[in-house]
Amino acid sequence: MSTLKLDNVTVSRGAGPVIRDVSLRVDSGSITALVGPNGAGKTSLLESISGVIDPSSGDIRLDDEPLGKLSRVKRARRGLVHIEQGRAVFPSLTVEENIRLTARTQAGVDEAFDRFPELAKRRGNASGLLSGGEQQMVVLARAFASRPRFLLIDEMSLGLAPVVFMRLLPMIEQISKDGVGVLLVEQFTHLALGVADTAVVAASGRVTYQGDAATLKNSPELLHRAYLGGAP
Amino acid sequence: MLAVCLTLMARLVRVVNFSQAATGMFGGFVAVWLVSNAGMPVWLATVIGILIGGALSAIIGWIIATWLAEADTSTRSAVTVGPLLLLISLSFILFGNKPQPFRPILAGPAFSVGGVVVSQVTVVTVVLAIVVAVGCRIILAKTSAGTQLRALSERPTTAELLGIPAKLLSVGVWTVTGMISALVVSIVAPSQSNDATSLAMLIVPAAAAALLGGFRRLDLAVVGGLALGILQGLVAQIDQISFVRNFVPFLFIVGFLLWLQRKEVWDASR
Repeated sequence: MSTLKLDNVTVSRGAGPVIRDVSLRVDSGSITALVGPNGAGKTSLLESISGVIDPSSGDIRLDDEPLGKLSRVKRARRGLVHIEQGRAVFPSLTVEENIRLTARTQAGVDEAFDRFPELAKRRGNASGLLSGGEQQMVVLARAFASRPRFLLIDEMSLGLAPVVFMRLLPMIEQISKDGVGVLLVEQFTHLALGVADTAVVAASGRVTYQGDAATLKNSPELLHRAYLGGAP
Repeated sequence: MLAVCLTLMARLVRVVNFSQAATGMFGGFVAVWLVSNAGMPVWLATVIGILIGGALSAIIGWIIATWLAEADTSTRSAVTVGPLLLLISLSFILFGNKPQPFRPILAGPAFSVGGVVVSQVTVVTVVLAIVVAVGCRIILAKTSAGTQLRALSERPTTAELLGIPAKLLSVGVWTVTGMISALVVSIVAPSQSNDATSLAMLIVPAAAAALLGGFRRLDLAVVGGLALGILQGLVAQIDQISFVRNFVPFLFIVGFLLWLQRKEVWDASR
């Protein structure tokens, strides 16, 4: 079993830390929802894991290998795939070209289209011309084709209607069931908690809850307290 | 061909490379020195000059890809003025400020049309420009490296997060365009003013030609280069205005930019 592990990670931007002393663990085949109010440092934390920014302190390990000195390219090649906020397609590339960027073989491309059949009929279309939901599907298919070990998904629902995002969630669940560990940052808290095994709430620059996702989903009081920065 | 190089650089690595012709000039000067002082055959010296042009360009590209990876196009482009000035100064120090005794790789007329003689240099550079433009188009459209380069040009950070080796590909583009520039300079230098400044300033007509294609379209860059060349040739034939021949690219740049801005001017005045 693969593990992505963070120990006392602090990430700073500009004047000071945006999120402090985060310790969490994501196992392969599981989904961890990282939720919390805007400005809690969720995106910064994901960026520090994938190497977009360096954490100011702490340790990040992928199967006991420290990631600190690895470039973002090397982290990606070790199976750590970060899906950024917004529509992270390459707009002028066709759907197939987007997927081919990460699929190592034609079989990999075909497998991605089998998994995401809605995209198959649009394989020759420029990705930038697809709807928002379809573009996010391309991003997921591209990540799937890279055969990741861990997916870091940042606000995939941004700019999408909840009903559109709800169509993407089963796809994320299926990827996880294939043995991929998912760290899911999401603004639609209840939807994210609905698919997650574990939940982490970040508020006011620190972790205020870490535990079972279902427990948090079923306890509005606990969720509100965590969002307001209360003690776990 | 320099316009094609500029277009490739702007499109793929987000740089308007002001040092494009200067790296070629320096490689060409080294080739001349090797022929004149080391007695090397012209072809071998030219190959070495091309490799040096590529290496210089690669160094500049590596610096920009390392320290200015996230910078915007304006900043990355402005930085290339540094190597332009550095290479001109270094040429003055190492090779003097006089024109260099380039040995022509190509010489003589290719054919004449209606009394106008078309030189071999013109024919070869035009054919090479078309071959390079078409070749690049095929590579970008049909190969995995081309797809990666197009991805990199659109969203560099996303490309890296997918494991695409951004720095390696960028430096590769810089190297290839640097080598092409040195080849171009080696071909055209014997038939024109070939001091360091004149050759480095070939960037101006190249930029004018690339501007026609918006620094995006390779075909229009080739057309722009041809059109400018013909225009300069025509102006040179008319005694009364032949002195403005070298200003034609500047006039073209100014005129084209003004034309592009025509709607903004109309909107503002309205």
